[in-house]
Amino acid sequence: MSETGLRNELEDLLRRCVECGLCLPHCATWLATGNEVQSPRGRLLLLGDVLDQASPDPAALSALDQCIGCRACEEACPSGVPFSLLERGQQRAAAAAPEPALPGPVLRRLDRPGFLAALRPLANTGQDMLAHLAGRTWRDRLARIAAVQVLGTVPRGPGSDQSLVALLDRLTGNSGPWQAPRPAPEPDAGPLGFFAGCANRGLLPDTSRRLRGLLEAAGFQITVPGNQDCCGALAAHTGRPGRAARLRRRNRRAFAGAGRIVVEAAGCGLELQSRADGPEAEAVDAVVVLAGADLPPLATLGLAVAVHDPCHARHGQGIVDEPRDLLRSIPGVRVLEPDEAEVCCGAGGAWGLRYPHLSEELGRRKARLLAATGADLIVTSNPGCLGRIADGLARESVEPPILPLTDLLWYAAIRAKG
Amino acid sequence: MPHTGPARSTPADPVARLRRLLGPSGWLDDTAARTVYARDASHLRLGRPLGVALPATREAAAAVLRACADAGLAVVARGTGTGLSGGALPADGQVVLGLSRLTACGAVDETGRRVLVGAGVLNDQVSRHARSSGLHFAPDPSSQAAASIGGNVAENAGGPHCLRHGVTLQHVRRLAWLDAEGRAWSTGCGAPGIRGLDLATLLCGSEGTLGLVTDAELSLVPVAEAEATLLAPFPRLEEAAAAVVDLLADGLLPVAVETVDRAMLVAVEAAFGFGFPTDVDAVVIAEFAGAAAEVAADGERARRLLAGAGAPDVRLAADAAERARLWQCRKRAFGAVGRLAPSYVTMDVVVPLGALPRLVTDIQGIKAEHGVEVATTFHAGDGNLHPGVHYDDRDPEETHRAHAAADAIIRRALALGGSITGEHGVGVEKLHALPWQVDAEAARLMHGVKDIFDPAGRLNPGKVLPALACDWTPAPPVPGEIEVRRRDLTVTAPAGASLAAVQRAAREHGFWVPLGGWFDRTAAGPGAGSLGTVGEAVDQNTTGPALVGGLSVRDVLLEVWATDGQGRDFHAGAPVFKNVAGYDLTHLLAGAGGILARVRAATFKLRPLPPVLAWWTWRGDVAAAWPRFEAVLAKRPAEPGAPVVVADLAAGFLGVLAAGREAPWDLDGLGEELAVAAVSLEITGSEQTPSTAVDIIPAVLPDWARGASDWFALHAADGGPSAPAGDRFLWQAAPRTLWTPVAPPASTDLVCDPVWQGGVPTPLPAPPDGVPRHLLQGLKDFFDPDRSLPTPVWLQTGQETP
Ligand SMILES: Cc1cc2nc3c(=O)[nH]c(=O)nc-3n(C[C@H](O)[C@H](O)[C@H](O)COP(=O)(O)OP(=O)(O)OC[C@H]3O[C@@H](n4cnc5c(N)ncnc54)[C@H](O)[C@@H]3O)c2cc1C
Ligand code: SF4
Ligand code: SF4
Repeated sequence: MSETGLRNELEDLLRRCVECGLCLPHCATWLATGNEVQSPRGRLLLLGDVLDQASPDPAALSALDQCIGCRACEEACPSGVPFSLLERGQQRAAAAAPEPALPGPVLRRLDRPGFLAALRPLANTGQDMLAHLAGRTWRDRLARIAAVQVLGTVPRGPGSDQSLVALLDRLTGNSGPWQAPRPAPEPDAGPLGFFAGCANRGLLPDTSRRLRGLLEAAGFQITVPGNQDCCGALAAHTGRPGRAARLRRRNRRAFAGAGRIVVEAAGCGLELQSRADGPEAEAVDAVVVLAGADLPPLATLGLAVAVHDPCHARHGQGIVDEPRDLLRSIPGVRVLEPDEAEVCCGAGGAWGLRYPHLSEELGRRKARLLAATGADLIVTSNPGCLGRIADGLARESVEPPILPLTDLLWYAAIRAKG
Repeated sequence: MPHTGPARSTPADPVARLRRLLGPSGWLDDTAARTVYARDASHLRLGRPLGVALPATREAAAAVLRACADAGLAVVARGTGTGLSGGALPADGQVVLGLSRLTACGAVDETGRRVLVGAGVLNDQVSRHARSSGLHFAPDPSSQAAASIGGNVAENAGGPHCLRHGVTLQHVRRLAWLDAEGRAWSTGCGAPGIRGLDLATLLCGSEGTLGLVTDAELSLVPVAEAEATLLAPFPRLEEAAAAVVDLLADGLLPVAVETVDRAMLVAVEAAFGFGFPTDVDAVVIAEFAGAAAEVAADGERARRLLAGAGAPDVRLAADAAERARLWQCRKRAFGAVGRLAPSYVTMDVVVPLGALPRLVTDIQGIKAEHGVEVATTFHAGDGNLHPGVHYDDRDPEETHRAHAAADAIIRRALALGGSITGEHGVGVEKLHALPWQVDAEAARLMHGVKDIFDPAGRLNPGKVLPALACDWTPAPPVPGEIEVRRRDLTVTAPAGASLAAVQRAAREHGFWVPLGGWFDRTAAGPGAGSLGTVGEAVDQNTTGPALVGGLSVRDVLLEVWATDGQGRDFHAGAPVFKNVAGYDLTHLLAGAGGILARVRAATFKLRPLPPVLAWWTWRGDVAAAWPRFEAVLAKRPAEPGAPVVVADLAAGFLGVLAAGREAPWDLDGLGEELAVAAVSLEITGSEQTPSTAVDIIPAVLPDWARGASDWFALHAADGGPSAPAGDRFLWQAAPRTLWTPVAPPASTDLVCDPVWQGGVPTPLPAPPDGVPRHLLQGLKDFFDPDRSLPTPVWLQTGQETP
């Protein structure tokens, strides 16, 4: 499209914004700051100038850069203002973005599962040590150091099957021996390519393994192409489009011929779905696959469970009913909806690393609201959200544990009679 | 009313002071902030602010006001900027004071049905906060997800469900607010239905020009047991409008009646795909709420009525989810117009309900005459329309035509007896139209109010009131006799008319003013249910011990004609259900004890007459049994008629009078509940009579209740249950009041007002602590400088220093 054509198209889209402000209460950055510059309407009002001017106002650029890209505003907007507008602003701002809180070498390695796996014990012991040694106030002070703060948000799953079972046994009052779900004797649900994802592979390998166990029990034939790689989202969002494209090409090759690809992290799923040069096979969120699957029998669990929807699932892929349906398929589970369910938890991938303080505040807010439901347990399905909210729960000293939804399902399966 | 505050040094640089005060995240003056905060939802522009202050506490907000006062800077309050009349727009060099960080939500008081929230809390958050207590905040502007409570108060916001529940003012118990100097004040004691000059009447709808609201104590209403929502597609818009009038004139009392026209339906369907028909001219949405049986009965009656009026295919929302989606689509309709045209002007006219079909027809004519497109959503049951005229602002000629058409619509609404604005406010957008509605004396009084509250003119200058030197419209003539306008659901009466005569006139049409005051007053005094005149009712904001009531006088008062202390006549309000054109002098007078003006005539809202009255009597140990009765009776909704108890402890007598529906689930049900509550008490009498036979009631009342000349009104400050006081009392469920004919023992929980002594109203009691007496004094001085009207002692003495 010609330059003026593009300009006109943008202008038409911008004019769609009737400035009603209905998007404000859905925007995490506005909720946390009460500052309309940090709101969708505010950002749109600044966007025209940012795109037009050779050297735009730094404050305007920074407002756009602080947009998490959660897309909650797009869904809330009655006038159909597309998020793509803000995305343009974000891209323009990315160039002039402030220094990342993490040093470049760290940031760039976050899409390497090996690096993440190495981070895991560090995060575990680091946090525990801090909590133990430093006490509350010092812990808070130390946590202002970005790297320390980030460590706190590294997603940590329940780990081994034993510790998961112990945790949930304690919550549900179950006990006794159990057996992992067995693959269906006649796998008739079709083939599935398994997308490993950096964070899941590096940080939540047990959860991934349990997901595979469940899918195999439901009759899927799982293949895990060994030559697959990162989805490329992090590279794309940290200004490395070349690497992102390379990764996509690699994945396209790795998954050639796969029927569908099951993806655990919603961010990866959205990235795989939205680029034309990614894998040809359809990338489907694990929650969606599970919701449509013929799962093994599930035990009755007397639990009140609050759900947190990852933005990239809820706003990016429209996944809202599936996790709830899945939870309700576990007999005895009561699903609780937190207030502000559609609002971002502040994880935001690389965004959270660049704006650690805002991110932390959002995580705390989300944790408070989730805890306020009175739930016994919180579930979500994205590693980033898991880490952010777990950190918020710890900082707010509020009770319910948070788990990957898959882990809860797996537990219900292993505790089923017969 | 000159006032000198403590002397303060004037620092050279106010910006530096503000920055020091608020820190970098609380004082924003970069280009980005000044660009963003130069706008609101109105699409208008005035200028760029000097900067934006976002205080996190009310103390910090007060400090900002002080700093601005010292520097002579004008301050524009802002909630979330969803206002549609430009009220929150700053001019060049003004300071925007955003209250979005005052987000504290107090605990919900379940018995008192109230909650204290910060001005920055969003409307919808209040209801979400109260939901687990089975309560919600009734005013529900379509912008409720985003609009702040401070903004709702400042605009006196309405919403679809205000048809039944009334607009924001009706739900404001008390406000904490700051004046232009940053001093903190309160508006009252927080009990509904009380006498006094309630400054909340002025602050509500004042658009940030009189004071800054920091906290609001709000009334909550119970979430209904059941709801039914009907969707009626009409082939013709005029038929839809007429059907709405018929529905209400027939005596149904829906909680909401909305209409959406075809142009709007098309936009909403394109945006949300709810499944609205787009091949019809209009859709009427009518919602009923209450007891399950009541809702079912009313829903069916409404369905038949709507079908008979031209909508054969009435659809009933299947479940709560569909209902929620329906309202979401309706409430997001405004935003969907962004898809229709590059620009639009949205009006907010109101007409007397019966004139709705006429205005709808006239708008068709105006459309054709000016060659413009109009899409309209209606709060139809309130006679409130939002016609949006569409145009392309890149075309000056089209822009001109659109604005001419908008003005023609406003003029038309005024000619039909309406108002230029029902809920969006005057702001800057309708400044030019206010003189078309308001008379010169009322305008002078409004300017007086502004000068008293904000003598230096620094609070949101240039909003709400155009300069006094304008061509104001003449006031309508003072009505000489009682006139019931059934299709408008209003009754107008001269001040001297007895309220009983008004009720009789309304009753002939099957309606009443839900206040009590059903009988002519006896020689002795205002016995139960027999307060004297319309004028007295307005002055005292009560009809005395009501026999079946429900709302306070203020809640049903729409319009007054009055004369101020200098003998100047004015007219305030309009015979419509919503009106935010200028300061609310009408409701200021309700309960003002006649100290500001002498009321000459008034217009009230009508409600369908409850079909039956029931009367039960008991004999036994009333004091011991009372809490059980109260528990049952306090649950009764205020409408169609709140119950009343007449009790005589010494005589061991208790009588309950209740109004309700002629149906087993209503009054029979209540009777059963009372019988259960009474356990050991012997029920000695119970009868139901058609409420048209109300005249038999005096016969069943004890003499002391009928003919007392003294009445003390007791209110629980928390609005909660009141204990029996003294030997004899009359307990009224809504507005919750306990009346006793002899002075009750002093109590710390109850506010006591000796309203009538020796058959005449006593002087207005002094306001509670925290209310700025210098402002009350200022109002008195301005309205009645020569003290030719009644003047309570506390206003005769010298000024209070704040
Ligand atoms: C899509 C849409 C639908 C709407 N639907 C309705 C509707 O159904 N009913 C209705 O009544 N309105 C409606 N409105 C208008 C608007 O939402 C209301 O007027 C709302 O009350 C404004 O609240 P706010 O917080 O956005 O106030 P703002 O727009 O920020 O301010 C409005 C005015 O209030 C003043 N103000 C704000 N806060 C305070 C405070 N704390 N103290 C003193 N003054 C203050 C400002 O100075 C300004 O004059 C709608 C608006 C939109 C965009
Ligand atoms: S909701 Fe949409 S139209 Fe309204 S202000 Fe936000 S982006 Fe603009
Ligand atoms: S994408 Fe998210 S953070 Fe960005 S403006 Fe929209 S709601 Fe706010």
